[in-house]
Amino acid sequence: MGEHVVAAASELQEGDRLVAELAGREVAVFRFDGELYAYLNWCAHQGGPVCEGALTGTYEATYDREANEVSLSWNREGEVLMCPWHGWEYDLPSGECLSQRSTRLPSYPVEERNGDVVVTL
Amino acid sequence: MSTQTNRSPLTENTVVDVDVHLRIPLDDLAEYCDEPYRSTIKHPTYTAVNRSGWDRYMGGNIQKESLPDADTLYEKVCDGFDIDYPLINAFPVLASVPEDDRAVHMMRAYNDYLLDNYLDEYDEFRGLLSVATQDPEAAAEEIERMSSEEKIEGVYVLNSGAHLPLGHPDFDVMYRAAADHDLHIAFHASAGAPFARDFPIQDNAINRFMTTHVLAHPWAHMLTMTSLLVNGTPEKFPDLNFTFLEAGLSWVPYMLFRLNKEYGMRRREAPLLEKSPEEYIREQFYFASQPMGEPNDPQHLKDIIDIVGTDSLLLATDYPHWDFDHPDALDRHLRQFYPEETREGVLADNAVEAFDLSL
Repeated sequence: MGEHVVAAASELQEGDRLVAELAGREVAVFRFDGELYAYLNWCAHQGGPVCEGALTGTYEATYDREANEVSLSWNREGEVLMCPWHGWEYDLPSGECLSQRSTRLPSYPVEERNGDVVVTL
Repeated sequence: MSTQTNRSPLTENTVVDVDVHLRIPLDDLAEYCDEPYRSTIKHPTYTAVNRSGWDRYMGGNIQKESLPDADTLYEKVCDGFDIDYPLINAFPVLASVPEDDRAVHMMRAYNDYLLDNYLDEYDEFRGLLSVATQDPEAAAEEIERMSSEEKIEGVYVLNSGAHLPLGHPDFDVMYRAAADHDLHIAFHASAGAPFARDFPIQDNAINRFMTTHVLAHPWAHMLTMTSLLVNGTPEKFPDLNFTFLEAGLSWVPYMLFRLNKEYGMRRREAPLLEKSPEEYIREQFYFASQPMGEPNDPQHLKDIIDIVGTDSLLLATDYPHWDFDHPDALDRHLRQFYPEETREGVLADNAVEAFDLSL
């Protein structure tokens, strides 16, 4: 519990991530689009190491009833965290699971303070 | 593999995993083959497991694991998942081998490879010998040949793409050999090319892997189960057990009750049966947990398990395949809903009974 320095801020550049063991838990910190995010490295599905998965995009589709057309598009490139065990998808900025909207990755407060990246459990 | 601390309540239990797979490179298998097969299988125009080009690994973003040697298997399955006794199969897709004689030769090579490279390496390892369904007589001979191997505990039958439905009387010679040697049967279904053999019209019309993968395993098992019962196979071999791998449980209640209904109306078309299909299934059939169904309400999974019966349920991970289940996916339900004695049965004792394992 408490505050944990996980890295010097300079070691975590835009697009980087790290996984640290904090008080017996694996916590991942991402710097993405200028913001820091800290999530438990534990997929809600079967406990896979989700935060070590690919950052990818995903397909989204809409149906236009009037035109009777489905439009399919590949979106959110780099924003979708995919568990390497079974492919469960999460939105990186919110931690929301794309297939189970009520499920989120457990998150922790994280900030840059005096040149350090600090996670609070 | 993630290593959150204090996470496995399985450490204190004996655990048998009835579905652990190898992926043996053809060049390695060739060393166990004689000519001309040795040269033939080094220059295949198919792959050992024909994946039919599907995007099975989601563009490479989900793991394609393998267990290339006994030490890796022990580390990943026994240490990583707290499995005490993995029941290992070589996972050959012999139904996709076009020449029957080559399939039969490869069958023997796969079994020798499994023994030499895995089963002989760790006391805890157990194995299923594989058979080629192209030639039931050769399958029976292979069961005879392997029957003296104490680490071989059963017969692995790929029932997707089998050359006849598996209750056909041509297979009785295979089942008789298995029963004579106390080697029980495990049917394993498969997506991809074997699915296309059984269901070519549907396969041609499907254009997402999810569709074929949802349907491939239960469809194959439904065909096998129906064929076994209509032909009276469990009545012919009352001491033989039949385990169904890789389709979970949720397909079973429908079959129990539909087969009962049809048998009541059309008994003369299954005249060998002396009791209801449900009774044969409860007494001689077993079902592996993977892939665990994921109902929105966990209570519904308990309802399914209760209908199938906890005595008929076996733990399986299907590791290292992409859709494996961590053992806790089943065990957390067992801990939540069942007494410890029932849990111990599912984790080990039922598998001991299904395969007459000597642990």
